Amino acid sequence: MNVAGLAFRNLRRRPVRSALTILGVGFAVGSFITLYGLSGSVDDNARQSADERNAHLTVHRRGAAEIFGSTMAETIGSKLTTIPGVAVVSGELLVLAATDGGAHVLAVGWADDSVFWKDAPLREGRRPRPGERKVVVIGNDIAISLGKRLGDSISLMDENFQIIGVSRYTSLISRNAILVPLADLQDLSFRTGLVTFFYVRVAHPEDPAAIKRISRAIEAKAAVTVAASEAMLQNDRLLGMTRAVSKAMAWIALFMGVLMVLNTLLMAVLERTREIGILSAIGWSPPRIMGALVVEGMILSMIGSAIGILLGILGSRLLSAIPAIGRYIEVTPTAGLIAATALAAVGLGMVGSLYPAWVATRLDPAAALERA
Amino acid sequence: MHSVTSAHLQGQRELRQTAPMSGTPLIMLENVEQVFDEGRVVALCQVSLAIGHGESVAVTGPSGSGKSSLILLMCGIRTPSRGTVRWNGDAMGPPSAWTRLRRSEIGIVFQDFNLFPTLSAAENIEMPLFGCGLSGAERQRRVNVALEAVELHARARHLPHQLSGGERQRVAIARSIINDPSLILADEPTGNLDSDNAAAIMDLLFGLHQRRATTLVFVTHDPQHAARCARRIAIKDGRITAPAAATSARELT
Repeated sequence: MNVAGLAFRNLRRRPVRSALTILGVGFAVGSFITLYGLSGSVDDNARQSADERNAHLTVHRRGAAEIFGSTMAETIGSKLTTIPGVAVVSGELLVLAATDGGAHVLAVGWADDSVFWKDAPLREGRRPRPGERKVVVIGNDIAISLGKRLGDSISLMDENFQIIGVSRYTSLISRNAILVPLADLQDLSFRTGLVTFFYVRVAHPEDPAAIKRISRAIEAKAAVTVAASEAMLQNDRLLGMTRAVSKAMAWIALFMGVLMVLNTLLMAVLERTREIGILSAIGWSPPRIMGALVVEGMILSMIGSAIGILLGILGSRLLSAIPAIGRYIEVTPTAGLIAATALAAVGLGMVGSLYPAWVATRLDPAAALERA
Repeated sequence: MHSVTSAHLQGQRELRQTAPMSGTPLIMLENVEQVFDEGRVVALCQVSLAIGHGESVAVTGPSGSGKSSLILLMCGIRTPSRGTVRWNGDAMGPPSAWTRLRRSEIGIVFQDFNLFPTLSAAENIEMPLFGCGLSGAERQRRVNVALEAVELHARARHLPHQLSGGERQRVAIARSIINDPSLILADEPTGNLDSDNAAAIMDLLFGLHQRRATTLVFVTHDPQHAARCARRIAIKDGRITAPAAATSARELT
């Protein structure tokens, strides 16, 4: 027998309490993985979508708290193209639009001459011709989820559009987006002459000094903010709040798990004062008694973490399966997040067991051993 | 350090009276007092006592007289309010020193066995060995030796609730000798046993005392068990009232 075996025996003495604590830790760890994964996935999915634009910089309205809700004049784009080193500028209007059956989809508007139309990968169909209106290219996932085919019509904000193409993007957001001629989307959303932001491709992306110079030049041309495309959403208030709320909930869940370990072990200590007295009587030092209880806490945390990892992965899949979330965010906890959470849970479980263990060492062994 | 007072001198006289051995005592109490509740309850008062290597000592007295307090002081589970406890002549100080002694030099046997209910007899016996730096094989060897000593090998895998009272006390005794201690302290080891089992347990304790030359100090209400000891110490109201020295059990009977 070893100290871990001894701890197992003690935990098995109160199987219901130990099982409930393990489940509590499991739910805490699972919630943490799911919610923290959600927070990270918001950025990841937006970044993957931006990557598919193959852009180096994004330009959005200066001081805009919500990037998706802000707009700026489409004409700014022509000013940006004059900056030396800028290769391509393309505006993009984003609108969350009601579609068939009341579902909301992300509608993406590009000007007729946007390079993004040319770059858009198609599974079938074609791209809109210059000047063509009331046509859309839908993402492959939205085509499946709405049961739409090439040639069908689709409603966007109560206006009917004909599906002329189905894209085959790889990012979740693009797979669920509907590509619309910019003029149509501006009319639909009453944003005539406006875009949400511009994507900029530079001639020499390998030159950081050149990118910095171009960024400064863009910001000098208009009241805009330039960010690397992968960092575009970092200052978005709405996404920031989403991240903050999910992270806060994640930490609260984990904290609850620690409290459960603390409560379970504290009760165990108070119920086992006599045994702790015996341990002292047979020569166990306070650090050794403390260590034995901490091992119990760590075992609870480790088993709870293992269950929590499974629950976290399951929870992430369930969250992604909710259409309102799954269309924009695929919650995929990374291996790093899972490993870090499991380690943190075991560490915090240890911390949660320190106080009860300390209480145990403060017990008067004589009082514990005194006969009634 | 304590000042020399009349009480102290009285304690020294008692110490001489209760110290028939020669050489440095194994354990010695000098003017020890144990009070509780800010002095309102006196468990032991001016107790001086010296017990030599290999002695057998019975502590007798009515309930609440301070016998158990004396045992707890002698193993350092309780710290005296006043006075000094010496081990091999050295004044015992911090609790950690006592912990080391209980791990290696002092075995304790309780009236109500105090076994761990989820552990088998062998595992209960093994408990004091944790943290001693012994290999698993060595721990197992010592457990086997202890089981043999208490003639309980056949019940090694049984849990305490599967053992009789006498067997449980044998497990407790095996646990107390697992580290080959110099001193066994037993607080009414037969208090929860019938007379046959009580006699068997006392035979076992005295056998260990004789074979291993272990110092044996036990609390008992039974005059017959006390009579088997070379010395008897009677306590009443926290004071030693009848220090007795004898060279053989026969003189006491």
